[in-house]
Amino acid sequence: MTELVQALALGVLIGGVYALLASGLTLIFGVLHVVNVAHGAFLVLCAMFTWWLWRETGVDPVLASVVTTPLMFGFGLVVYRLLIVRVAGAAPAMSVLLTFGLALTIEGVLNVTAGNKFRSATPGYFSESFRIGGISLPKPQVYGFLAAVAVLGLLYYVLTRTWTGRAIRATAQNPTGAALVGVGATATAGLAFAIGTATTGVGGSIMSVLYPFFPASHYDWISRLLGIIVLGGMGSLPGALVGALVLGLGETLTATYGSLRWSTLVFYVVILAVLLVRKQGLFGTRLREDVAL
Amino acid sequence: MRRRALVAAPLVALAAYPAIRPYDTYQHTVMLLALLLAIQAVSWNIISGYAGYVSLGHSVFLGLGAYTAGILGVHTGLNPFLAAPLGGLVALVLAVAVGVVVLRTRGHAFVIITIALLLATQIMAINWAWLTNGSDGITLSLPPWSRDIANLPFYYFFFVLLLLTLAASAAVRRSKFGTGLVAIREDEDKAAAIGVNTTRFKTAAFGLSAFFIGVAGAGYAYFLTFLNPVGAFSILGSVTIVLAALVGGRGTLWGPVIGAFIVQFASEAATVYGGGSSSRVLLFGVALALVVLFLPAGLLPTVQAWWLRRHPVAVEYTDHAGALGAGPVVVTDRRPPPAAAPRQALLEVRGVSKRFGGLTAVDSADLTVLAGTVTALIGPNGSGKTTLFNLVTGAMRADAGQVWYDGRRIDKLPPWRRGHLGIGRTFQVTRLFRGMTVLENVVAPLPDGRWRTMLAGAVNGHEADRARDLLGLVGLNRFADQPAGSLSYGQQKLVELAQVLMLEPRLILLDEPAGGVNPSLVDKLCGLVRELNAQGVTFLVVEHNIPMVLGLCDPVVVFSRGTAIAQGAPAVIRNDPAVLDAYLGDDWRPPGASSGVSPGAASAGGGAATAVGTC
Repeated sequence: MTELVQALALGVLIGGVYALLASGLTLIFGVLHVVNVAHGAFLVLCAMFTWWLWRETGVDPVLASVVTTPLMFGFGLVVYRLLIVRVAGAAPAMSVLLTFGLALTIEGVLNVTAGNKFRSATPGYFSESFRIGGISLPKPQVYGFLAAVAVLGLLYYVLTRTWTGRAIRATAQNPTGAALVGVGATATAGLAFAIGTATTGVGGSIMSVLYPFFPASHYDWISRLLGIIVLGGMGSLPGALVGALVLGLGETLTATYGSLRWSTLVFYVVILAVLLVRKQGLFGTRLREDVAL
Repeated sequence: MRRRALVAAPLVALAAYPAIRPYDTYQHTVMLLALLLAIQAVSWNIISGYAGYVSLGHSVFLGLGAYTAGILGVHTGLNPFLAAPLGGLVALVLAVAVGVVVLRTRGHAFVIITIALLLATQIMAINWAWLTNGSDGITLSLPPWSRDIANLPFYYFFFVLLLLTLAASAAVRRSKFGTGLVAIREDEDKAAAIGVNTTRFKTAAFGLSAFFIGVAGAGYAYFLTFLNPVGAFSILGSVTIVLAALVGGRGTLWGPVIGAFIVQFASEAATVYGGGSSSRVLLFGVALALVVLFLPAGLLPTVQAWWLRRHPVAVEYTDHAGALGAGPVVVTDRRPPPAAAPRQALLEVRGVSKRFGGLTAVDSADLTVLAGTVTALIGPNGSGKTTLFNLVTGAMRADAGQVWYDGRRIDKLPPWRRGHLGIGRTFQVTRLFRGMTVLENVVAPLPDGRWRTMLAGAVNGHEADRARDLLGLVGLNRFADQPAGSLSYGQQKLVELAQVLMLEPRLILLDEPAGGVNPSLVDKLCGLVRELNAQGVTFLVVEHNIPMVLGLCDPVVVFSRGTAIAQGAPAVIRNDPAVLDAYLGDDWRPPGASSGVSPGAASAGGGAATAVGTC
């Protein structure tokens, strides 16, 4: 019983962090209809930067997100202006290939500059835990979860309560219509891409503590995150939240009661099953498809 | 002749090189890796270039072939070269099994699935240690031949395999199979509507593209003599394949070969001069991004386009006089017109519904089209007319209700089967295959679903003659060899009509045939419809040009809010208050002298000198 509660609690904590990591990916897809395959590489890039900052200055990695978030926001803006905007109207495969190229470039740069080895930021509380009853919750996992909840709350506020957020949602639903009522689609898309990338600032900083990483870790991450947003419905933020919790719980439960070796396969099975059976995921909607464009 | 020499010379050089310089072992190795990459890129091109289904996980088939040879070698001692066809077979069988399901997804979903499949296979290869020896990998036996000839057998193995792959790719491109794949790439739903069995075409292309890579995989395993899951099912390998095909020009026969040699040599140069293999990822990443941004079409098509700009072909204009003056055309030269008079229902729609989310586009609609009529379907925008077309032709599945055609139920049939049965349609916004020439567009429809038809030559003499007749009929004969995308909107509408007629349909659904077509051609169009109708072809026409509808069609069915609200002769419909209310608006009055057309005069006069844009 304790084992089950432990697995569930840990699953929720992991799921919360997953939700943060996936939120940017699903936001970008929702507005730009671009699957940013480089999202995992952005995370690893930011984790590497956080690790370096922590080692050089001793600043807490989770708090370092105050620095990394605006940096990643700016990085996202630049990437959008230089690369993504050029494949705006092209076939889906082209944007996937472009962002894949970007992911490889980041991996290659990290390979050359930092070397191909595992790293992990280990602040003082790294191996400590909160103990509640018979359950132990690792401190970094709890801090990461809290940071994730805070950022997701902020993201939700920005998207639903501010003009910028409304512009982003309008552009996601109908770029032409949004443009007609005075919302510049390109600027808004750039903003959405930058905000989506900014989430990798906090996400990458948390990752540097929670998950040992190396330059090629991004393949693993992008597969997990794709599993999450495909399950939730690509482009849906609430969907990403639910997908992240389901897969976080699925992962801890498989690891507890099944075998660790197969737990990573869960994500691929989810991707395949959802895309084949219910392409719109849990929260996606099907719209009228016969309207001529 | 020059073209042939251009192709033959490098191939002869490739074949002769090791014989002339037998001791350049290093160069042989680089070349044979380039040949291996070329095999993969040419194979990839069959599904991802011709059919446009971009796979980012294609090296899964290299791994499958390699592991087949490796496992067989360990357990039976079979030489990997002999196991190679089996490796191809394993890849082919798995590709077909997976493809039947996976190829139902498109765009983003398909790309993601191919990556997921590759990585999932890698995990299975690691975890199924009883079969694959897990992460420890498999060591194959060393080749028995003398070290003096080193890699020459591998070189020629890959060289011959590349020739076979190229021959297969060329054969596909020349057949209706290839035309169908390109049609799928350009517009899959449209391809299905003109009789292309898209499921079979895609699955066959996927299987074929897997087969040669599987065969190559066996040779690759033998060459490496060591296999492990991460190396064999490599995402970077997949990216290299895509990069090679993209650089050379996807969708072309030779582009992937050219691209493979460029990519392999560049990669080798980077390894030797650019700081070793750790920089290879960086190089591939930057190259991939640059190619997507600045050379998305690839080298070969870019050079071809440049050549065409230097040597332009004179563009001519619509042969208007020819179109208007073309003699009567006999379209049903296969089927005799049905015995006259007994007006049976050719198409029956019974209680059909279609919902999109909360919106009910078609609401338990009933509609009967009698054989031999020209039936009109009119109604306000959004009343569900086009959706009804989609349900009849199979582009969409109904949520409820039945569709019967010629005495059989068709609502469960895929679109291409309905095309084969004799239902043709045109689209509201033209949907030609823009990359194909006009003539290729017109011969693209497939009359039946037999393998023989699919593997026949793309354009045979009889078809070409017929296609030219039909193009002459719509006045576009001079455009036969132009890309369809370069035609004006109205011209494309006419080509689409010719394309539908190629199927020799018994029922033609026209979706706003007069929209965007100039008035004299509208007259021509009406005349054509009457002529075909006299030969036994039945029509169902959606059109907003009411004078044209009232003059051409009988009966007229009025649609509103997803269901038929009235049906009758034009004279009855134009005075039906419910229709006027639903469609024409409250302030519309029945025309007296104002429009100048009365249905009687129009049908009697056959379009002689009436108001602009009417019949």
